Amino acid sequence: MTSVIETNGLTKTYGAVRALDGLSLSIPRGGVYGVLGPNGAGKSTLFRILLGLIRPTAGEVRVMGQHTGDPAVTRRMGSMIETPRYPPYLTARQALRWLALAHGMGAEAETDRWLARVGLTEAADRKVRGFSVGMMQRLGVAAALMTRPDLVILDEPTSGMDPPGIQEMRALIRSLADDDGVTIILASHQLLEVQRVCDRVAILNRKLAAEGKVSDLTASGERLRLSATPLAKVMAVLGERGSVQDDAVMAVVPRAEAPALLRALIEQGVDIDEARWVGADLESVFMTETSSPAGGRA
Amino acid sequence: MMLADAIRSETWRLLQNRTAMFWSIVFVPVISLVLAIGGFLFLQSKMDGAMQTLPPELKLNARAVNLGQSLVDAAGALAHPAALAFLLIGAATVFAGDYRWETWRLITARNSRPNLIMGKAGAVKLLTLAGLALLLVASMGADVAKGLIFGRSFAFGFGGDEARSFGLLALLSYVRAVQFLLLSLLAATVTRSLLAALFVPLVIGVGQFFLAKMSPLFGWQMGDWATMLLFPGEGYELLKVLVQGGMEAALVPAGAAWRALTGLALWSFAPFFLALWWFQRQDLSKE
Repeated sequence: MTSVIETNGLTKTYGAVRALDGLSLSIPRGGVYGVLGPNGAGKSTLFRILLGLIRPTAGEVRVMGQHTGDPAVTRRMGSMIETPRYPPYLTARQALRWLALAHGMGAEAETDRWLARVGLTEAADRKVRGFSVGMMQRLGVAAALMTRPDLVILDEPTSGMDPPGIQEMRALIRSLADDDGVTIILASHQLLEVQRVCDRVAILNRKLAAEGKVSDLTASGERLRLSATPLAKVMAVLGERGSVQDDAVMAVVPRAEAPALLRALIEQGVDIDEARWVGADLESVFMTETSSPAGGRA
Repeated sequence: MMLADAIRSETWRLLQNRTAMFWSIVFVPVISLVLAIGGFLFLQSKMDGAMQTLPPELKLNARAVNLGQSLVDAAGALAHPAALAFLLIGAATVFAGDYRWETWRLITARNSRPNLIMGKAGAVKLLTLAGLALLLVASMGADVAKGLIFGRSFAFGFGGDEARSFGLLALLSYVRAVQFLLLSLLAATVTRSLLAALFVPLVIGVGQFFLAKMSPLFGWQMGDWATMLLFPGEGYELLKVLVQGGMEAALVPAGAAWRALTGLALWSFAPFFLALWWFQRQDLSKE
């Protein structure tokens, strides 16, 4: 598995505040990679370092094998960091034309095609000063993708979008990764969206809290859901491994121990109506991994 | 190639900003032409009666308008403070726009930082060229209007001397304008502020003008190192005198031209390289 991004002991401090604290991360080439974390976890700081907007205080970072800030590398990247802004006197089409020129591109930038892909054809000749947050996001995504980058960094790409817009964006991101072979790094607070669209995720809390395939991370938090009576007897057998949720008991047990557990419950006179495995969602994994205080002081 | 991309995109973006373009390069030529024509018409209406009583050689239409000399005179007046103040609007928009609109993050990934700064400087140099060219056209237009209004004939005496004077004066005016506008680059880069990009050069320019007038009080003389290094505007005026020749040129001390050129070069290159050095280290996530 080749890496598109490698960080080793990456640290960034702003005065007394430590935004990143020795982050070591390897992001594989290809697919959609989610970067999750609570506010202040260092996601935007990481992206800004990757784009060469700021320099790390300590540690190493390599993007496509090169140092960050090298135009030869950053020109192969597309990005949208937070809600992008544009000179207000430009129209959407002019904004893309301006960025295409800055990239050394002419007509091959196919600005109209990208405006269509993000659903801005009708607004192409409107000044961006009148754009909503969602429209700015769409334009930002078009600007990030227009140069046919190998690596795209999208920070909250669906922020401010309506549900159809979110759905379209999800489809666009997946098609870029699956059909065009673009590596996409995505940060979002909408965990359900991340779970749907990302292949792997990293959960940051100033350092790496968890990393892996979405399916592996959610599987590690799976629990045995028992619909059984009486609940008191079930809880007596499970002890701290069980908790009551909606008239059922959620048991945290390894799969190998489940048959023995069920036998023990039956022997104790428990009537079991249903026993099934329930996978954890990304939200519960996220909450577990980020619940410990991160300590923001350097 | 990448520098050309930076200049092209900055220039193209500036051309879309019609407000900045109007105020920086169109307003002064148009208003000066309108005022000149208005003034000539007013003068002609007031002088009409009096003209009848004058002998032919003293009448306003006695001599032909020499458009060649007009061209030379206009080239020497291009870096007028009013023209520079309005050119500053466009320059400040180019230099501080990406801080004002938080758009640095969109373009820093597309080019190197030195290229981005040089691209902005290149766009402002083109803007200055266009602004001074329009001023020249307006000035010539005013002289043509003068000839038409007062019924004067036209001549175009533009030989080798005039061509040399025109070329040198136009170049000097251009260098002076660019030198002044590059102060805006430094102010914008250090303060990240559009207002500072506008007002810092104005304050420095006005301050230099008045301090230069007071310089004899400090024992400084025209053309010495102190005045030439501190006041680039004085250096520009001194070089203009030398190009125009005549009695005034004979009074310029020996070696003053080099000191003036040194001062102009210092005030052109220092703001540019300081801005470049600062920008290389700047955290562009805080726009």
